[in-house]
Amino acid sequence: MKKTVLGGLCAILLSAVSTLAQAEIIRIANHGQAGIDAMKSTVERIEKKYGVTVEVVEYPAPDKDYLTKLLTELGAGNAPDLFSIPTTAAVADMVEAGYLAPVTKEFKAWDGYANLYDVAKALAISPDGETYVMPFMLGIQEIYYRKDVLEKAGISTEQPKTWRELLDRAAEIKQKTGAYGLLFPAGVSWGSGAFDEGFQHLLVGSKTPQLVDADGKLDLNGEGIKDVFGVYKELIDKDLMPTQPLLGPEPWVVPKYQMFPEGKLAATTCGSWCYIFDWGRESKNPIPEVTKVVGTWTVPGQNSGQYVLANLAAPWAVNAKSANTELAIKALMEIGSIETQVSYAARIGNIPASKDAAKNADFQKLTELVPIHAAAENGVFLKQASGFGTVAEGVARATEALLRKETDAAGAQKILADYVKETLGDDMVK
Amino acid sequence: MARNSHEKRAERQWLLILLPSLVLLLAFVIYPAIYSVYLSFTNEALTGAAALRPRFVGFRNYTRLFNDAKFWNALFVTFVFVIGSAVIGQFVLGLISAMALRRPIRFRRLFSSIILLPNAAPEVVAGFMWISMLAGGENATLSRIVSFFGVTPADWLQVFPLSMIIIVNTWRGIATAMILLTAGLSTIPAEIYEAARMDGATPSQMFRRITLPLMMPTILLYMLISAVSTIAVFGLVYALTRGGPGGATEVVSIYIYNQSFTAFQLGYGAAVAVVALVISLILGIAYVRAMKVEV
Repeated sequence: MKKTVLGGLCAILLSAVSTLAQAEIIRIANHGQAGIDAMKSTVERIEKKYGVTVEVVEYPAPDKDYLTKLLTELGAGNAPDLFSIPTTAAVADMVEAGYLAPVTKEFKAWDGYANLYDVAKALAISPDGETYVMPFMLGIQEIYYRKDVLEKAGISTEQPKTWRELLDRAAEIKQKTGAYGLLFPAGVSWGSGAFDEGFQHLLVGSKTPQLVDADGKLDLNGEGIKDVFGVYKELIDKDLMPTQPLLGPEPWVVPKYQMFPEGKLAATTCGSWCYIFDWGRESKNPIPEVTKVVGTWTVPGQNSGQYVLANLAAPWAVNAKSANTELAIKALMEIGSIETQVSYAARIGNIPASKDAAKNADFQKLTELVPIHAAAENGVFLKQASGFGTVAEGVARATEALLRKETDAAGAQKILADYVKETLGDDMVK
Repeated sequence: MARNSHEKRAERQWLLILLPSLVLLLAFVIYPAIYSVYLSFTNEALTGAAALRPRFVGFRNYTRLFNDAKFWNALFVTFVFVIGSAVIGQFVLGLISAMALRRPIRFRRLFSSIILLPNAAPEVVAGFMWISMLAGGENATLSRIVSFFGVTPADWLQVFPLSMIIIVNTWRGIATAMILLTAGLSTIPAEIYEAARMDGATPSQMFRRITLPLMMPTILLYMLISAVSTIAVFGLVYALTRGGPGGATEVVSIYIYNQSFTAFQLGYGAAVAVVALVISLILGIAYVRAMKVEV
């Protein structure tokens, strides 16, 4: 009898201990099935290493809806412990709102820190000098063009050296092939893409290549901004860029997934993910031998220079109000493993921020990405500041007015400046 | 004395019965409404410094709103949407359906089932369903249909955005209109039509002089209900156009969402919501008084 009671008590004790050991749950927000698949082994590793349960919550696509859900939950205090941020432009604002836990100390002590590209480290530093986001993956963006379409029509595939050359090339494409010559994502429906994948490409090579002055104020009156909108204006007015699809609810679908594979659009800004996700093996509408028929140009500067834009591709951060920040930070570091970086690269097409990824056998199989990874160090970027999220939305509104032919370049700049002033107050804008 | 204590007990019992509903009403209707009004006087935001330290800004949101062309555009779009969809589309087609179903036509049950079907689909589902019909240029189902008749295909949501959402919302709302108007029609005694027919009245005369006047209380009540529900439409427009292109379909509900959850300006979004509510209340009360509808 005594043995039975003792056995029962032991069983209860063991059960309680194991329950306590599994009691901690880390909730991770992830973006779509590809991201969840990429994280699968990482999740298992975190669970095993720290004895926690990881709950992966699928957040909605597109990015705009993802950010809305995330910010709403952060504001309400019930957001996941760990999450990726879909656009770099939102980071500074989220830091200012107090949503993100600082991880500077842990980041620098992390064993993968030394092997990160310098550009990744620089991108991770917030305006206050602290680090809040993990720069594990990079988005390296350029102009992707249909080499086969241009060659067939006898059009040069050489790198355009100025904005003028780029615009002239787009005009020549339209004239000789009938295809649209160049696409920059634009308009409200494209969300942060109008800024991340369009506007900033040109701005970095303009006469006023930054949006933030030394005091951290937004300078939206720069000549470069008007000139960038001027490029859009010319593309739209001369019908070199498709406009109607950009005004719909899912503006990327027709130009990126239909027109480009069909050769009806000959050049577009895109990132390394395009070789995998948009037109490669993960695409629903792949282009055969994509790396052979689709070439890349860097984005030329207004009068000179070549620009390859480097962004943090959905950087990871820890919720400042997480019930267990310490554990969440440990889990965050696991996401930085080479294995996870390569897993993301294979499924989404982003570039590992770690130089060591080059030695990884699985990464070497991703022949589309290997040369881009090697060149990642040369990426340029805009200095981030509080209010960038609003600027991104303002750019979307300004470019939408251009798409609808409701304004000119100066008018678009005014729409941007007015929107930011109205939203953030006059004192935020120079 | 005994009676008083009995009455008091009865009152307490009623209060107990009502209490759960009152608590729910307070928690989910009254408190959010008061909180929205409070928010509208702050610069509360979902991101940036205002998320951490919101402050009282007085009437700044309201003065901004009255100078905001996009807000006035949203009001205008909402007005056109309500008139086109609720007043003209749903009412006219609903009345035609209701009158048709009174007659002993063939396949009456099938006909009424088909009309009722759209009402079964949630707003968002209906929206996504219609995207395949309307979006995608020459690949859109509607484009393929009209091409057969020699009409040039188009991206219908881009070329006629407001007209398209009016049509889709009309399609969704016909069933409600039909049910309400059928109920109204059934209250008109058949003898009146019989007598009119014997007096030699034509169908058109019977409609104008019997059906419409006797249906008027039902019609006015229906209009009010339909207008209120159309003003509140969100999911359908969001799924179809998200308010675009260029604000062409940005009804007030979408504008409030965009300000609050796209621009993340909760204070300003709340101010828009408060003003929209006040405008709706004023119009509703004016309508009820003008039409002398008993509700």
